[in-house]
Amino acid sequence: MQPYAYPLAVLLFPGGLFALVLGLALKGVDRRLAARLQRRVGPPLAQPFFDLVKLAFKRTMVPDIASQPVFLGAPLVGAATMMLAAAMVPIAGVYTPDPALGNLLVLLYLLAIPAVVLMIAGSASGSPFGAIGFSREMALMLAYEGPLVLVVAAIAVRVGHGQGGWASFSLTEIVAYQARHGAFLFDPVMWPALLAFLAFYPANLGIIPFDIPEAETEVLEGPLLEYSGPALGLFKVMSALKSVVVLSLGIALFFPTAPSGVAGLAVQLCKLLLLMLVGVTLVRVSCGRMRIDQAFRFFLKWPLALSLASLVAVVVI
Amino acid sequence: MSNFTIPVGPLHVALEEPMYFRLDVQGETIAHVDIHAGHVHRGIEYLVTKRNVFQNVVLTERVCSLCSNSHPQAYAMAIERIAGIVVPPRAQYLRAVADEVKRVASHLFNVAILAHLVGFDALFMHVMEVRERMQDVKESVFGNRMDIGANAIGGVRYDIDAQGIGYLNQQLDAIDAEVVEIIDLYRTNGSILGRTRGIGVLPHADAVDCGVVGPVARAAGIDYDLRVKAPYTAYDRLDVTVHTLPDGDVWSRAMIRLYEARTAIGLIRQCLRDLPDGPTIDSRERPSIPAGEAIARCEAPRGELIYYVRMGDSPKPERVKWRVPSFMNWDALRIMLKEAKIADIAIIVNSIDPCISCTER
Repeated sequence: MQPYAYPLAVLLFPGGLFALVLGLALKGVDRRLAARLQRRVGPPLAQPFFDLVKLAFKRTMVPDIASQPVFLGAPLVGAATMMLAAAMVPIAGVYTPDPALGNLLVLLYLLAIPAVVLMIAGSASGSPFGAIGFSREMALMLAYEGPLVLVVAAIAVRVGHGQGGWASFSLTEIVAYQARHGAFLFDPVMWPALLAFLAFYPANLGIIPFDIPEAETEVLEGPLLEYSGPALGLFKVMSALKSVVVLSLGIALFFPTAPSGVAGLAVQLCKLLLLMLVGVTLVRVSCGRMRIDQAFRFFLKWPLALSLASLVAVVVI
Repeated sequence: MSNFTIPVGPLHVALEEPMYFRLDVQGETIAHVDIHAGHVHRGIEYLVTKRNVFQNVVLTERVCSLCSNSHPQAYAMAIERIAGIVVPPRAQYLRAVADEVKRVASHLFNVAILAHLVGFDALFMHVMEVRERMQDVKESVFGNRMDIGANAIGGVRYDIDAQGIGYLNQQLDAIDAEVVEIIDLYRTNGSILGRTRGIGVLPHADAVDCGVVGPVARAAGIDYDLRVKAPYTAYDRLDVTVHTLPDGDVWSRAMIRLYEARTAIGLIRQCLRDLPDGPTIDSRERPSIPAGEAIARCEAPRGELIYYVRMGDSPKPERVKWRVPSFMNWDALRIMLKEAKIADIAIIVNSIDPCISCTER
């Protein structure tokens, strides 16, 4: 591998700039679609870009009682982590990450960082709403991380068995395995895991019904309440990148089959759009917000049972 | 879990009007509530004594936009009682029509906000769309969307012809069908039920103690509606159904409002069917109002509204005092918010449909 391959992957494609533009565009489509589903006109497709530019030129206010280095450092860490994570998810036929990057376990840890960053940001801001957001974010994370790990384990074991080993946590191998044996989307054993993974989307992306830590009408955006200007913009960057990462991860885990080259990229974009429509937009317009205790109980019931079912089935078969 | 003091209000995205709750919370649970008021005091009770009887019809309409028909109506009723003015039968029916039109719009508005607070914005948009039809009706019939200016001393300021009745009936059919659907949604939707059943409970005994009125009382099983208990305008000739539910939770209050919206549509239909001919206002254009005092009551969308008016020798009232429904329901919030979760504060506060500008005038 060339020496500049890592920086290129992290900063330009498929991480960094590419993922950011893609994430913001997806956000624009999502907002427009949701508006149309609610019989509103909705904002222009480029609204997330406008928002980001506007925030970039504003001032960041730091509350007197906030701890400044943590308050300003948190969004930086969050955005940087997601940039790195975006370079770790393979795009079938287009991009295969270096083995050092394409590890699912590392990616799982990186995916937990935005939530941790929000918690730190919330408590560093010194606002009581931030503190409430902190405790909610933590409870929610504890609830959804378990099922997520089980889903990933089910897939790893499946791929590992296929290769005569025990489990494989290499995303490249998972994609290659599905290219040979057919996507997990069409494998009945993996359907419960897929459903559990779909429940993880709204929780990780912080959308209704699981936008509990940031609930506007309850805790006024929680951890983000005190943020403004470029610091808030960085959080927007983080969430745009995160949406690309988790959506592409879903595609890599369950339906990576695609032609190579430019056609592969086009197919990937179509899948992203479709997955976002089904997994994000339709979900968030068709239900209300749960209370944190309800969400906690929900995750410990359905996604946990479903992911466990897949894992057991995979191990037994 | 640590303890916080969090401010909800005076300006808060979930509150439509400024009110201030100081909450001591332990983790997600409320330990203590302080309710502060007084942010939108405009001195209207004082202003009323500086204007003459007829100007005050306009002024009282501006006390609050959501009950903007009930205030001038109760005020006019009190003045009519002092002066012994008899409102013509047609005007009585038209007053009931205006009252019920405002009631439908007000109840739908509150129920829509509930959906918004629960985070169910698609439902919020849908209910607001239905309410928008009622706003259109108001604009077409009365010429205004909120302050419809229907009332005058001795009668009403508007009339409906055959074409208007046809239009109203047609719009009511459309709204009625939508409201039936909305009732079904609120009764069955998991998101709504999960967030509103068993939340902010006001037990029957506490409801009686607090003297709550309107939908809040009826949702706690108190069968009290002025339109039946002390009929005014044309309500003694109309068939008013009073809905009650036993549970006293947020969901019951929302359902009562939805049922009442349907009943109100039925009442408008009855009025339009039975509308007698004749004048719409007392024949004397500016009757002189003698000295005296009177009390008038009417059922505003939020509950019983009481007006006291005392007239002296001048054409300006000596004293006008009103007791608004939110004033009675306000204190019950302490009971509803006890041990509630932070997530439910806005939902519970909204469930009494607080009208701050009425209460603080």
